[in-house]
Amino acid sequence: MAYGWALEAEEYDREFSDRFLLKRILSYFHPYKRSMSIVIFFISVASITSAFVPVLTSIIINNLETNRNIFSIFAVIILILIFNLLSYVFNYFQQRYAFRVIGGVVLDLRKNATDAVLNHDLSFFDRNPTGKIVSRVNSDSETFGTTVDLSIQLISSILIVFFLLIIMFFINILLTLAVIIAVPIFFILALSFRKIARKKTLLGQRALASVNDFVKESFSGIQIAKTFRQEEKLYEKFNKVNDTSYKVNLRRAFILNAIFPSLGIIQGITITLLVLFGGKNVLGGTISAGDLNLFLQGVNYLFFPLLSIAAFWPTFQAGMAASERIFALIDTLPLIIQNDSIKPSRLKGNIEIRNLLFQYENNKGVFNNFNLSINSGESIAIVGHTGAGKSSLAKLLARFYEFQGGDILIDGISIRNYDLKEYRRQIGIIPQSPFLFADSIENNIKYCCSNAKKEDVINSLNATSGSDWIEDLSRGLETDTGERGSRLSMGQRQLVVFARVLLENPAILILDEATASVDPFTETKIQDALQKTIEGRTSIIIAHHLWTVRHVNRIIVLDHGKIIEEGNHEELMAKGGMYAELYNTYFRHQSLEYIEKMKEIKQI
Amino acid sequence: MRSITNKNINTNYVEFSPGNDPFEKARQIGSRRWILSHIFYRSNKLLFIIVLFTTILAANLSSAILVVIGNAITDFLIGKQSSLLFYTTFILLLSVGTPILRLINYMLREVIAQRLERDCRKEFFSNLLGKSQSFHDQQKIGELMARATDDVRTMNFLISPAISLIFESFTSLIVPLFYILAFYPSQLILAPLIFSLLFFFALKSYTRKIGPITGKLRSFYGMMNSTLNEALTGIEVVKASAQESGESKKYYENANNYRDAYVEQGDVEAKYLPLLILALTITGGLIHAIILNLIGLMNIGQVIAYLGLLALLRFPTFISIFVFAIIRLAVSSAQRLLEFMNKKTEIDENVGGYKNEIKGDIKFENVIFSYPGSEKKVLKNISFEVKPGQTLALVGTTGSGKTTLTKLISRLYDVDEGRILIDNVDIRNYALNSLRNQISYVDQDVFLFSTTIFENISFGYTGSIEQVVEVAKEAQAHGFISNLPNQYYSEVGERGVQLSGGERQRIAIARAFLVNPKILILDDSTSAIDSNTEDKIQRAIRNILKNRTTILITHRLSQIRWADLIIVLNKGEIVAKGTHEELLKTSEDYQRIFIKKFDVEIDTLIKRCEEA
Repeated sequence: MAYGWALEAEEYDREFSDRFLLKRILSYFHPYKRSMSIVIFFISVASITSAFVPVLTSIIINNLETNRNIFSIFAVIILILIFNLLSYVFNYFQQRYAFRVIGGVVLDLRKNATDAVLNHDLSFFDRNPTGKIVSRVNSDSETFGTTVDLSIQLISSILIVFFLLIIMFFINILLTLAVIIAVPIFFILALSFRKIARKKTLLGQRALASVNDFVKESFSGIQIAKTFRQEEKLYEKFNKVNDTSYKVNLRRAFILNAIFPSLGIIQGITITLLVLFGGKNVLGGTISAGDLNLFLQGVNYLFFPLLSIAAFWPTFQAGMAASERIFALIDTLPLIIQNDSIKPSRLKGNIEIRNLLFQYENNKGVFNNFNLSINSGESIAIVGHTGAGKSSLAKLLARFYEFQGGDILIDGISIRNYDLKEYRRQIGIIPQSPFLFADSIENNIKYCCSNAKKEDVINSLNATSGSDWIEDLSRGLETDTGERGSRLSMGQRQLVVFARVLLENPAILILDEATASVDPFTETKIQDALQKTIEGRTSIIIAHHLWTVRHVNRIIVLDHGKIIEEGNHEELMAKGGMYAELYNTYFRHQSLEYIEKMKEIKQI
Repeated sequence: MRSITNKNINTNYVEFSPGNDPFEKARQIGSRRWILSHIFYRSNKLLFIIVLFTTILAANLSSAILVVIGNAITDFLIGKQSSLLFYTTFILLLSVGTPILRLINYMLREVIAQRLERDCRKEFFSNLLGKSQSFHDQQKIGELMARATDDVRTMNFLISPAISLIFESFTSLIVPLFYILAFYPSQLILAPLIFSLLFFFALKSYTRKIGPITGKLRSFYGMMNSTLNEALTGIEVVKASAQESGESKKYYENANNYRDAYVEQGDVEAKYLPLLILALTITGGLIHAIILNLIGLMNIGQVIAYLGLLALLRFPTFISIFVFAIIRLAVSSAQRLLEFMNKKTEIDENVGGYKNEIKGDIKFENVIFSYPGSEKKVLKNISFEVKPGQTLALVGTTGSGKTTLTKLISRLYDVDEGRILIDNVDIRNYALNSLRNQISYVDQDVFLFSTTIFENISFGYTGSIEQVVEVAKEAQAHGFISNLPNQYYSEVGERGVQLSGGERQRIAIARAFLVNPKILILDDSTSAIDSNTEDKIQRAIRNILKNRTTILITHRLSQIRWADLIIVLNKGEIVAKGTHEELLKTSEDYQRIFIKKFDVEIDTLIKRCEEA
């Protein structure tokens, strides 16, 4: 089943120890020390005022039971009122600052995760679907924030219990112990739920993530589904994934919801025990009714945080799992090796590849002991069958992937010693399939250099195919390109990409089958422009258009990651090797003769 | 057959509908009604009633315990030894019975909640499947995802815990009042009554303030999703342009807005007034009970029980801080879902329409078209005819309207003016299903699903493995597929094998072969991948052109050369039309391609052509 893998762990998942996780989480609060101490201060004072209210109440009841002094009762009531008001005010400040801290921490977490993701090399994105990454960065951090919020509320009620227990301890040690004895039982039960709950929650979140993935893919390919009338098929598959998620999440919900009532039973038993022993004491006259009331209320106060731990256990679990998932994402090591960070002013574009060893992660070997040197300003063409390693070479030069052995030197310095971003700025790649952002054409062109002026944009357009086609669009340069550029045709998208790369003014230009998706009308225009643009920079043209190849100083013929021939067009043709063979097949296709004979071939 | 002369807008147009749609009416009425119709959908009704019932019962038990405890204390104070065992057993039964009731209550509530999530998502998904292509063109996947995942999830939270907690708090607001009335001086309900009243108004003002903030939170969240999603989809460009920090900044801005809204929410929540009202109420109730005790209307046990009953009000007070926020959130989520689902779509499934097998005669009559929501005419006065079995090649610069023209034929969009006839029947009179089943596309931007090659090929028509292998051979794809690790069962896409443009295209051609359509639209933007591949693609295309009407958008001059009809488009208009030979003589644009490509004179071209 295609979506069977969905419930498996992601490869970047890790098991963190709780202690490590907590330490890691705390480090995020560090920048908010000041606000956090305000929060802690107000939690503490609010807890004290809150804890005193039931004590004062039981003082009144005791007073009613014994000397019935109206003035002292009245005084205590005034105290209760003041304490209540103070609790409200303290709570107010505590909350205000708590939200500021949490908002900030979540923001930092999101930023860190995004930065980490954006800085991964491309092999990371080959392995991990975008939908799942996005869900980690956004929803998981959200869940984490909720958890922190709940934890702060929890701390406040635990403090209240703490103060209350101290007071109770002074009143009656034995009854206090009877109340506290429930706590370990409570925790044993809660902890035994913990493991299974955590597991179920992870499963539930993964099931949901795979539903998300399915939805995303379905609507990315909706046009295919529509033209083939296959909505039904997608719908059925969706139902399967959705039902799986339902079942997994229902099971999770059952487990999580059993915790609360189970703990409720313990609370019930505790109250009963208190009535039994407390009742005996009241009968024996060793304790007053007011004190018994305080203990009964104490049970409620005690169980409130315990029950909220249990009630919010799902969220708490989700929060821990979520933070674990985010940290795992942040911690995944980028595979790109950086030895230094030399910032080149302007590369000359001398490329030397020595004994290069490279394979993709799926063990598909591409290069083994590959050597090639390209002079500054030289234009070379790389030809060869699909899978010969042409595009891999381009991706290695752009540092999208890391190689395993040998070295690539640019201007005599290892590619690993350059500052990654500065280096990439000087490399321009025009890929096979153009990608545009959902933004205006102008912003797409000046994507690399947001400071560029409108004239620069128009100049770089003119340098490729002219800008008259832009004027035909509804809003000219302001036209929104739609998601991935979907509102423009493939050819138009490629022209935008051409202009984008030219505006970057790269020292090394790599064209990866760049004119493959441009129509013959536009192609003739680009042909002219290309001659101009490759001047003054090192250019690597991965091409199947031999018209470009013919004008290039040196042609490299690649086959299975090896250079099998090199030289200019005439030399290679004279040699009569693989290039000649490629060229002849090509020529046969592109020649007038071939085209004229096509009719006969058609009839075969 | 339905008349099409007046294009009447029907809001219920769908392109796909999986059987009956029980929520259709409710969707039209509004979000609240829609939510209710889900809650009361089929057996959910019964579950819901049981949940209600157990909630009320549990609230009664909690109140009863307090009364019993009060009585117990009274009896203990007067030294009634014998009552100890009785009270202990009674309290044990009540206090253990309550959580057991709750357990049942929660389980059932979860079933409803999870069902609601599942059903809403299902409804949303199938509804979106039914929307026309023009709708989908306007959607950002990220926005759509935010709705399908988080907004739908909120519907779950609406039941568990929000609505169920509201019941619980409502009953714990009301039930204690009855117990006060039944067991204690009835004037004691003064304090809780005043509380209920003040609580109601304070809560109302609170929810009014928190509402807009919640909306803001949601919309910033959606933007956070879509920016990140886009940056990751275009990661190669981001990296190549060294714009990681720029993308990070864009995301950060949205996340920052979200944070600000969150802080704003905190400020409103911090001021939550009912907390203060509750504290004052309990103090007021205490004073009241003390007075009654002093004048001898209440004993100490009763005072304690009464204070216990008042303390039950804590629950609704605390819970309401976030419960109503969830309800608000759920309603606005529901609105966002409905906003999508209720969007009009202009293409009608026309189930009762014309279903005949088509021969493949295509005729355009003065077709004018502009994309929905845009004034600009993309196609102007397009007229031509292609006979069954012929091949039509569309040529023109990028953006001249070639692809748009082909999209009209299978009604991904409807024309503004003029009409398109297939076998002399207006395409709007065909059942959409029948029409699209007989027309296939090989798209320029071949989309493959993240599943096996086998499933991708048999996407349009479920074939056996033998059939799939056969069409793959016809499409010249068998060779490279056989070299993959799992052959036809290799996964493609994000987690599987990466295929080149030419390979993807041949899979798409195989897909079209299997469907064996009468009309094929081949939007072929790849060209000359490598010589070997080129040979294969040429053969694949040649194979698929046989026995069907084909509309071809291609960069391959050899294919254009031999098309039965070539149309040159420029800025949405037909500027030249005819065979290769005719166009060489009449169209300067057309000539130029060939002259440049082959470095020959026009006369030579025409001569060669006449010889052939």
